[in-house]
Amino acid sequence: MLNKNRVLVAMSGGVDSSVAITKLNEMGYETIGITLKLWETIDPETKIKKNSHCNSTEAINGAKMICDRLGVHHYTINEIDSFKKYVVDDFTNEYLKGRTPNPCVKCNSYVKWGNLIEQANKFDAYYIATGHYARIEKSSNKTMIKKGVDTLKDQSYMLWHINKDLIDRTLLPIGDLKKEEVRQYAKEKNLETSNIPDSQDLCFVMDGDYRNFLNRFMPEKMEKIEGGEIKSEDGSVVGTHSGFTNYTIGQRKGLGLSNPEPRYVKKINPISNTITVAKKASMFSGVCIAKEINWLVDTPKFPLKAFTKIRYNSLGSMALIEKIDESYLVTFEESQLAITPGQSIVFYNEETLLGGGIIEDSNE
Amino acid sequence: MKMIYCDIAATTPLNKDVLDEMTKVSSSFFGNPSSIHKFGQESKAIVERARLNMANLLGCDLSEIIFTGCGSESNNIALLGLMKMGDHLITSSYEHPAVLKTANELEKNGIDVTYIKPNSSGLIELKDIKNSINTKTKLVSIMYVNNELGTENPINQIAELTKKHGILFHTDAVQLIGKKEITLRDTSIDLLSLSAHKFYGPKGVGALYIKNGIDLIPTHFGGGQEKELRPGTENIVSIHGMSIALQKSMEEKDEWNKKVAEYESSFLKKLKKLKINYTLNGSNRISGILNITFHDILSQDIVIALDMKGYAISGGSACSSGSAKTSTSLKEIKMDDESASKTVRISFGKNLTTQNIMELSDCISEVINKQYHKRVADVK
Repeated sequence: MLNKNRVLVAMSGGVDSSVAITKLNEMGYETIGITLKLWETIDPETKIKKNSHCNSTEAINGAKMICDRLGVHHYTINEIDSFKKYVVDDFTNEYLKGRTPNPCVKCNSYVKWGNLIEQANKFDAYYIATGHYARIEKSSNKTMIKKGVDTLKDQSYMLWHINKDLIDRTLLPIGDLKKEEVRQYAKEKNLETSNIPDSQDLCFVMDGDYRNFLNRFMPEKMEKIEGGEIKSEDGSVVGTHSGFTNYTIGQRKGLGLSNPEPRYVKKINPISNTITVAKKASMFSGVCIAKEINWLVDTPKFPLKAFTKIRYNSLGSMALIEKIDESYLVTFEESQLAITPGQSIVFYNEETLLGGGIIEDSNE
Repeated sequence: MKMIYCDIAATTPLNKDVLDEMTKVSSSFFGNPSSIHKFGQESKAIVERARLNMANLLGCDLSEIIFTGCGSESNNIALLGLMKMGDHLITSSYEHPAVLKTANELEKNGIDVTYIKPNSSGLIELKDIKNSINTKTKLVSIMYVNNELGTENPINQIAELTKKHGILFHTDAVQLIGKKEITLRDTSIDLLSLSAHKFYGPKGVGALYIKNGIDLIPTHFGGGQEKELRPGTENIVSIHGMSIALQKSMEEKDEWNKKVAEYESSFLKKLKKLKINYTLNGSNRISGILNITFHDILSQDIVIALDMKGYAISGGSACSSGSAKTSTSLKEIKMDDESASKTVRISFGKNLTTQNIMELSDCISEVINKQYHKRVADVK
């Protein structure tokens, strides 16, 4: 029988998760802090192992200080194998296919709402909690994920892939707050982690450059990736590229092209090893195909009208979603710029996160 | 919740008498032992009395003890201070990282290192050392008691062997000192590292025994304290504390060794009675350190579940990151990965009672059974 008063709190050691556990503690929950050790890199020169950003030594120590002040247990649990399998391997494979993945999405569904839930079962804890900027709302026997109150920080986009059944076992205690309020609260409570800067980059890419990471992680595969042709939409060769993994859809800088009107990467074709560039006007598209759809609400009836985001910080647009066999055709009311295969497409009904999928192919 | 501490091999609580002594020294003396004036003289006397006391307890000359910051530092000073380019070092593959990583570093600097593997019982065999000696061999460094397994190596035999070959012998005796009688002048040990916090003394202080006549090259530079080998103003409070702690430990060791051995045997008996599926690893163990494989539960799970119930044990040796990692020693005794992932270290010391030990066994049984039932339920 799982204890409904006990919560395992995922602690990155940053201010958000520190405030999350402190708030839950105040609310009377019995909290246990867990830092998931997800990744370590080995410095090629010194051979010294370094933890990734989200589980740096300082982060783990920060989490330990917070748990100590609350008088609760803290454990560091090694999930490096799982993180590699579900997040890093997926990340690198997607780039090899010329796609642009969202590793945070997979980390949430497989590691946080996967491995952490397994841990919660071991602790007899019904709940897990994180410091995500999103909200959980219960109404008439249904539990839903809603956008965070802080519209600039809202992280609901990264949560679409989690198992629907686990929403009821989730607490997101800082979703009602704005970032400034979280920091303010941390300062008022004198939390040791109150001044830790926000994490920005992918936690396992230490220097922030995914290209360096790919080269270091799979040198054999990356050596085989050679330069190729950059073509314009009419098929004429306009330049050369240094290897397709170095480019993402919508990229403008670093193409080495001199046109009076800037060109953007429109398509990456790893098979022909070509990159197609286009003018901005041609980068807009009104439709796309999505796969791997996951619904966080009862499976809707199609066609479905939903507010749709094609990337974390896109403004989004209303769209019509139709189911065609195993795929979904999404038709936007407003054309979208640089729809990128591999990115998450996420559906909302106003504040409620309905679900999402992976963008397969932008319309040609 | 009352916490019961069964991880004495990681560190020990500070002895109350030691704390009182340390408080006395720190509230009355602050002079720099190197100063000429009375303040300095008082502090100097504290340091030198500690040295004399420790030399007496270890059966060596007071000129043979230098004070260091910890056991790791003692190991570093010994190895780095002796080995020169072209020399050969023999050590074991299951040493504490303070020796292992120092040896790795020496390799980068043109020193040849042989890493002897322990046998499956967790012991270094004399013949393996004998076979590894060559004309370039300068030093053999083998740990006295392995920190994860609790196995005690044939140190005196190894020391005799090295003496016969005119080779120096160093031992990391961090897990032994305070638990057993040792008279260094009667052995052929040339260098020995020890650490105060393993015998109910303070953390952040250790010592290195260096037999008279052996010269080490300094690796740290400063004001010349501790024969130039560990320069820096002496930590008089901790040095005094270490000396008192060693004295107490040696006075009480027979009584406590007997008790700890009793704890150990009643613990194992109880595990059998509770029908727990376990294997006790290693032979020729010193009492108090038990390396146990519980075949029905992962070490991470049992360590956490017991901690939640108020019992502190270890999933291996304590590592600075505070998370579980694959144990070096278990790999080196060729334990398979699955067993290694289910192996824990439980170590008993002066803070416990028989009652605690009985409750610990019951708790272990409870945790394993609960997990077993959960697994069965999951399968169904």
